[in-house]
Amino acid sequence: MMDWRAVCACLLFGLGSSAGWTAAQPAASAGEVMYLYGRLASGAPLEATRGVGGATKGAEIACVKCHRRSGLGMKEGLLVIPPITGQYLFHSRHAAFEEAELPYVESARANRDSYTDATLTRAIRQGIDSDGNPLGYLMPRFALGDADMKGLIAYLKELGSGDIPGVTHTVLHFATIITPDADPVKSRGMLDVMQQYFADKNTFPFPPSPHMRSSGKTLYSKSMYMANRRWQLHVWRLSGPAATWTRQLAQDLAEQPVMAAVSGLGGSNWVPVHEFCQREHLPCLFPNVEVPPVANQDFYTLYFSRGVLLEADLIANRISEPGAGRSVNSVLQIYRAGDSGAAAAQVLAATLTARGITVRNEALAIDASVQRLNHALRTAAAADTLVLWLRPADIAALGEVPMAATAPAAVYLSGLMGGLENAPLPASWRSNTRIAYPFDLPDHSRVRVNLPLQWFSIRHIPLVAEQVQVDTYLACGLLAETLSHMADTFARDYLVERTETMIEHRMMTGPYPRLTLAEGQRFASKGGYLVRFAGAAGTKLIVDREWTIPQ
Amino acid sequence: MFAKNWFYSITLISIMGLAPASRAGDAGQKPRSDDAASRPVVTTTVGYSVPDVQLVRDDGKQVSLPAEMNDGRAVVLNFIFTTCSSFCPLSSQTFREFQQELGPDRERVHLMSISIDPEQDTPARLRDYAHKFAAGPGWQHYTGTLAASLAAQRAFGAYRGDKMSHTPLTLMRAAGAKTWRRIDGFATPSELLSECRQLLAVQ
Repeated sequence: MMDWRAVCACLLFGLGSSAGWTAAQPAASAGEVMYLYGRLASGAPLEATRGVGGATKGAEIACVKCHRRSGLGMKEGLLVIPPITGQYLFHSRHAAFEEAELPYVESARANRDSYTDATLTRAIRQGIDSDGNPLGYLMPRFALGDADMKGLIAYLKELGSGDIPGVTHTVLHFATIITPDADPVKSRGMLDVMQQYFADKNTFPFPPSPHMRSSGKTLYSKSMYMANRRWQLHVWRLSGPAATWTRQLAQDLAEQPVMAAVSGLGGSNWVPVHEFCQREHLPCLFPNVEVPPVANQDFYTLYFSRGVLLEADLIANRISEPGAGRSVNSVLQIYRAGDSGAAAAQVLAATLTARGITVRNEALAIDASVQRLNHALRTAAAADTLVLWLRPADIAALGEVPMAATAPAAVYLSGLMGGLENAPLPASWRSNTRIAYPFDLPDHSRVRVNLPLQWFSIRHIPLVAEQVQVDTYLACGLLAETLSHMADTFARDYLVERTETMIEHRMMTGPYPRLTLAEGQRFASKGGYLVRFAGAAGTKLIVDREWTIPQ
Repeated sequence: MFAKNWFYSITLISIMGLAPASRAGDAGQKPRSDDAASRPVVTTTVGYSVPDVQLVRDDGKQVSLPAEMNDGRAVVLNFIFTTCSSFCPLSSQTFREFQQELGPDRERVHLMSISIDPEQDTPARLRDYAHKFAAGPGWQHYTGTLAASLAAQRAFGAYRGDKMSHTPLTLMRAAGAKTWRRIDGFATPSELLSECRQLLAVQ
């Protein structure tokens, strides 16, 4: 469609490299550059020494590596990295953390003197805290000139200050973003889940309680640092051409600031939304996107998986597997132009071509008739292998062309696009078709998936797009759990950081066998299966290739 | 004693840091963060049996863990993941300096770093990581299936439930020996060197 080729080129450019594609950032202050990238105002790398490991420099010792983008630090194993935002550095001494009017951060301490510019300079240069005690051995001793020091301290003072967008004393505002090319049925299914989840969240029987402090803590929740706030959902439904989405999003955000975007639904192009969130420092937690931009160094959007791009890699590996019987020389891919399969087909073609396999792509117009599809299939006999990036309606129509007439040795199907085990694959195609399956097998995930399914059923939510609805429920659950760990510390960057660390502990991972994230990891589930149907009818699957992480 | 396949005989415990480990956050205490100025390093002698698992080396080859550990060299082992931003880089920097300081003994020591995030850490990512830390020829990084990585972590008492809860740990063993030197905490390159030289002396 209109922007499709540009989008594809952009996606392809980012492939294979974890850092190939990054949204443009606004100009940063000298302090911010030091903090985030370990570069001095002169452009030279930040230099430091550490008791263990000796001299070191550059991005490896940038403050962000341990204290994180939020400046709120972290706990990792037995390591405790304290918060270093102005609010925590410059608070007065308290015997107990509870007495300090500070939002709760598990690695903070209150029983030391407030820093001054002079003692903070000493801490950064010599590793001595405000009480005169040595800082932890992991803390580098930085060689910073006066001007750079001033810039860094100014940045720390500013970090985490100011209002947090979308957070009031009583309400947490969230958005969910739907692009105009998103499937309307999935969109309805997703919104049903979200609206119900938010309604349930808000009916939790906490009576309103008086505020104790400016941070919004309440009398009831003091001991737990829980802040009792209602969740409010704003649906940002984009319209028109992709070139106008950024403007629409900016307008939506200006009208109603939100703490984060949650779930959401894209069509084949999510790039403008991803870029917007990155530029606006707006967390976007687990949107339903089949073609996510692969930009692991970007911070603000977390995805469940690489979607059809992961499927393309799974299929590529299987096709070019050595010793897999007769070798594959030619592949035909069929997809509809402008649908998610186009990007996946380009990735697969690039990988296979590089491995010496001839690939022919047949792009059907998005509104082309089934006859056009059948015509394309009749040419498939010339190829060893057929790869189908098709939706259920097209898959159902395959029955009109008997398998024998097409006759390639193997057929691959996108599970994500085709409906996974519910793909309406005709009987004659079933024994020869492998389905990319970037989820856990139904037998393994039954308990984890039944939980949301029963939740939908009890609440009379129609099941219209199971995979999207289950993922949406999972995204809401991850948000709720992360917020519970954050207590009353509401900061956008901290939300992303806490999601990264929390997600690995979570048992309820929905349809995914395992979810993990870290700095530089933006796709929580990394692999997939290849499966076949066990019989001529029904949804029972057999494994063709065990869970594989494409290399 | 604790498990069928490995015995745990502490023959020596030496505290090389300034103070014993204080576990922040224990017993409902508010975490005290900056008091980690001490650098507790605890060395123990422990017998481990190396599990017979297949790993994937950073050159992409499938290898057996016992075979990699029994090639006539002493072994120095740690567990890392490449997207760890806090202390894995420090552990790897320590390994690099340790390897450089070994001098001619470098040939007699096999440094091994096993990923505790194997689904993310592909051989290509491990190669990039090794390159970043200027790993010499005798230092390999390993990945593999999640199950294989977990088996290796469990066998050496390195499993902490998830990658974010890991703790600094180095293990070393003379060529062919049954017992390992287990060094919990951040050892400096020279501390590793001194431990390793003792092993090489008896080898």
